Amino acid sequence: MSEQPTEIKLHQQSRLLEITFSDDVCYKLPFEYLRVYSPSADVSGHGPGQEVLQIGKRNVGITELVPVGSYALQINFDDGHDTGLYTWEYLYKLGKNQAELWQDYLDRLAAAGASREPLPGSKK
Amino acid sequence: MSFSETDVQNALKNLIDPNTKKDFVSGKSVKNVKISGSDVALDIQLGYPAKSVWDEIRSMVETHLKAALPGVGKVSVSVSSKVVPHAVQRGVKLVEGVKNIIAVASGKGGVGKSTTAVNLALALAAEGARVGVLDADIYGPSQPTMLGISGQPKSVDGKSLEPMMNHGLQAMSIGFMIDGEDTPMVWRGPMVTQALDQLLHQTRWDNLDYLVVDLPPGTGDIQLSLAQKVPVTGAVIVTTPQDIALMDARKGLKMFEKVGIKIVGIVENMSTHICSKCGHEEHIFGAGGGAKMCADYNVEFLGSLPLDIRIREQTDSGNPTVAADPDGSIARVYKQIARRIAVKVAEMAQDHSAAFPKIVVQNT
Repeated sequence: MSEQPTEIKLHQQSRLLEITFSDDVCYKLPFEYLRVYSPSADVSGHGPGQEVLQIGKRNVGITELVPVGSYALQINFDDGHDTGLYTWEYLYKLGKNQAELWQDYLDRLAAAGASREPLPGSKK
Repeated sequence: MSFSETDVQNALKNLIDPNTKKDFVSGKSVKNVKISGSDVALDIQLGYPAKSVWDEIRSMVETHLKAALPGVGKVSVSVSSKVVPHAVQRGVKLVEGVKNIIAVASGKGGVGKSTTAVNLALALAAEGARVGVLDADIYGPSQPTMLGISGQPKSVDGKSLEPMMNHGLQAMSIGFMIDGEDTPMVWRGPMVTQALDQLLHQTRWDNLDYLVVDLPPGTGDIQLSLAQKVPVTGAVIVTTPQDIALMDARKGLKMFEKVGIKIVGIVENMSTHICSKCGHEEHIFGAGGGAKMCADYNVEFLGSLPLDIRIREQTDSGNPTVAADPDGSIARVYKQIARRIAVKVAEMAQDHSAAFPKIVVQNT
């Protein structure tokens, strides 16, 4: 059975989601990181190779955290994205592999010639 | 000869409650111990409904204390039951008026979910609990027929529905709202989940200890909605012994694990067939399937029921077995299973380890 979180803290200023798990491990996940790795099919697609690169999300904020049953968290972002259901298992994976996953995102961004900066006139 | 409360507690630490399989002190059932001279009085408060065995428990405790405390005078024990509400995660909307939600599911169709659900609900009620039944099968509602209820639910405030009543149970089903027994609900997923949400949240359930949810077969929209939107205390899986049914039951079990709903246990239905003419007993659907599944997934085998023409006749007529023949052998099995479910639900309700974490929002 995957780890269960014991506490979740949303830091609005530093834009970090702090999660403490039952094995006493604590991860601080930046909002942008969570947004670009959303498990929603809109972002991850329905299979490998179908991912949609998310760009311009440097300043994205989180408006709401909604519990889903007892197994996941729905994160509502201020750019309107709210279809990602982050299971505890997934959040743990994001925390554990943050360095590699974040670098992978930056590499893909560079390869696409895109930027983290919000596009002018966009909904953030 | 006088005793201290500790003496009484120690004595009861050695007495096992046959329903919980734990001693009464570990089960936190011993309350209000009063000692005056050599007389001892105390309350046993069970966390599960057990009206039919209160007397048995009372005499068991009294006998045990008389033997364990030498020279004791009068021993008076009073037994009662108090159902604890499920520790619900913050943020998930509590269903008003409901303390615990028990889902009855299967994976496979036709194994006897609705029949089992309605009989278990009646059994819990017979043990003194306040019980409701939610018929979550929008495409094929069975509860109106099984409970012998007709007519439409009323609304006192124009927004909520009053549950229908029969056999001492509160019930809600889409079946109460459609005209004509053969009207199909030709609906796509979103409408179905919307309907379930309304049946669940917009019914004015009146102080229920348990809401038994009769799920449709499968692992789709309705199961997912229930898991995501509602604090389900636990799920009971019904299966027949045959491999084909077990394969689907296993999927059902895995689904609940995936969405974090605890499995209370497995009920094996149609375990044997007893010939009504010659009494010959046959495992027509195979043997041991339910027990093997329990061993594979480390869940409890709650009990097995026979394929008996009476069960079918009684539910078809709107008078299910536990109501129609409450002291019969089949009702006794349902009641035993119901008691065991209630005990496990009580344990789950007290177990906070898997409760949803605290969410804190800070301007830091």
